[in-house]
Amino acid sequence: MMGRTAFRGVQKIMQPVSLVLVIAFGFHSAVLAELQSMNDGELSQVDGAGIGFVLDNFTFSHGTDEPDENGEQARIFRITGIKSTSGEAVDITVNHLYIAGDGSNYGENLIPVNLGRLINPWRIDVVDGNDIGVQDKAVLELAAPSKVAAAAGFDCLGGSAVAGSGTCSSRPANGGWRGERADMGLQMNVAVGADRSSNLNLHARSAVIDGSHIRLWGDDERRQMAGQFRFNLYSPEVSINACSRDGTSCGSRIKMSDFALELVIGNSLQPIFFDVDGSGNFILEVDAIAAPAAGQIAADGQRGGSDAATWDFYDDYYSNPDFRSNLHIGNFSVGDRDFGPARMEGMLIQHLKIQTKDLAK
Amino acid sequence: MNHKLLSPCVRTPLVCFLLALPLSGVAEMSPLADEVLSGVSGQGGIYLSGDIRINEVGGPIENSYFGRCDDATKKCGARFAYRLKETGGWLVLDDIRGSFAFEGLTLGLTTIDSGFAGDGDLFNGDALELGLPNTVRFSDVRFKIAASNAPRPTDPGFQQTDIFAVEMQGNVIMEGNLLVFPAGNP
Repeated sequence: MMGRTAFRGVQKIMQPVSLVLVIAFGFHSAVLAELQSMNDGELSQVDGAGIGFVLDNFTFSHGTDEPDENGEQARIFRITGIKSTSGEAVDITVNHLYIAGDGSNYGENLIPVNLGRLINPWRIDVVDGNDIGVQDKAVLELAAPSKVAAAAGFDCLGGSAVAGSGTCSSRPANGGWRGERADMGLQMNVAVGADRSSNLNLHARSAVIDGSHIRLWGDDERRQMAGQFRFNLYSPEVSINACSRDGTSCGSRIKMSDFALELVIGNSLQPIFFDVDGSGNFILEVDAIAAPAAGQIAADGQRGGSDAATWDFYDDYYSNPDFRSNLHIGNFSVGDRDFGPARMEGMLIQHLKIQTKDLAK
Repeated sequence: MNHKLLSPCVRTPLVCFLLALPLSGVAEMSPLADEVLSGVSGQGGIYLSGDIRINEVGGPIENSYFGRCDDATKKCGARFAYRLKETGGWLVLDDIRGSFAFEGLTLGLTTIDSGFAGDGDLFNGDALELGLPNTVRFSDVRFKIAASNAPRPTDPGFQQTDIFAVEMQGNVIMEGNLLVFPAGNP
């Protein structure tokens, strides 16, 4: 009898527990019922807060060297697996790769730098495609600090730029601040079979990559990953030279001062498509833009007489500066000889197809 | 008599124990007011030392695509394949293996309202701060970029073109702090 009473007591305790459980399970299933897949159109409206990244007080250095006097393991950074046309193995050994503050003296003296600004950081974000010309798509974007209005920005090249002098957001180092412009460099040598080249050095001083981005989305028609790529590199000095492998003697330094590269591959009308073909080769393709139908553009090429919308479409395609790649070099010099400035402006990639081929087969 | 009294819990002791736990928990908890909560200050963050090994001497699953590194007939290392087109081939990160060791990776939350040459004042917010460990030791870290017509080497008609392979060894200097925070227009 007593046991039964106790059992009822437990049951009484259990009742609210069951109620809680029922509520919990009910809540859970209610949540499940609320989840629905979103279509492309709905998803394209998603414009959440992205994630910002800033590297503060940052130095990076990696490379290859001999074991030190204490027998510490040598550092190795090697790229292999490439074959020459004659089938010999190609080995690229990276002796030094660094990212450090301005004034590193070609990587000799590594000092810290900031990458990205708190008010204009590196970003990973899902953006509304309608804002960037990719209609009704949610676009994944990885972006360097964006360019800013000339009134607020800094000269992209000048090492001592003051506010209001240009469109770059990253600031050069000045007395009190280490700045957001990095010295970057790479020393490597290449061996083809048993022949090893001299060391090749590439350095960019006080480099800024503001305005660069990679955007990725899925293309409905081709059912394929599509993208846009923009790489800006501004540096007061980019240099290349070759040195003997022990570093004792170096050839002339090729210097490109006031170097500005704005490389655009893929745009909103012609994205880059990535694919791998049936034999396992990588394909990167920028599709040609569709030709106008017969009669849409007048014989004289003028707007009058052409279909206005078609004419405007092609006019925008050919005149949009965002679709064009540029390269400016303030002065090109080899050793103590100057060759003056060089400019390549307004390059438009109309069709590009890169396909890897396995030479070993 | 006593055993009868306890009988429901004796029958399902685990259930009773589990049910009792949250109940006692609920009884102990009381909500903290905003003002009280604003006064709470936790420990400074997390200090991590790590030794991460990825398939250093081959995986435990011994078949032709995730096998032992000392057996040339078997594939070694982890493999990550990504398809770029609905009917297309796969971009592959293959033979991923090696180990990383680091000491002193810190993780904490920091409030920034000054410094950064004027940006701190404008930012005036919290950021997740990941303190980089100064040196990261790479031991035989390798991976390979490749393109393949099938996700796994065991798939019929498998063909793969290795594009290049990377090998890293030794100490890498990685100094500074990585600050992570929300950005953009929510």
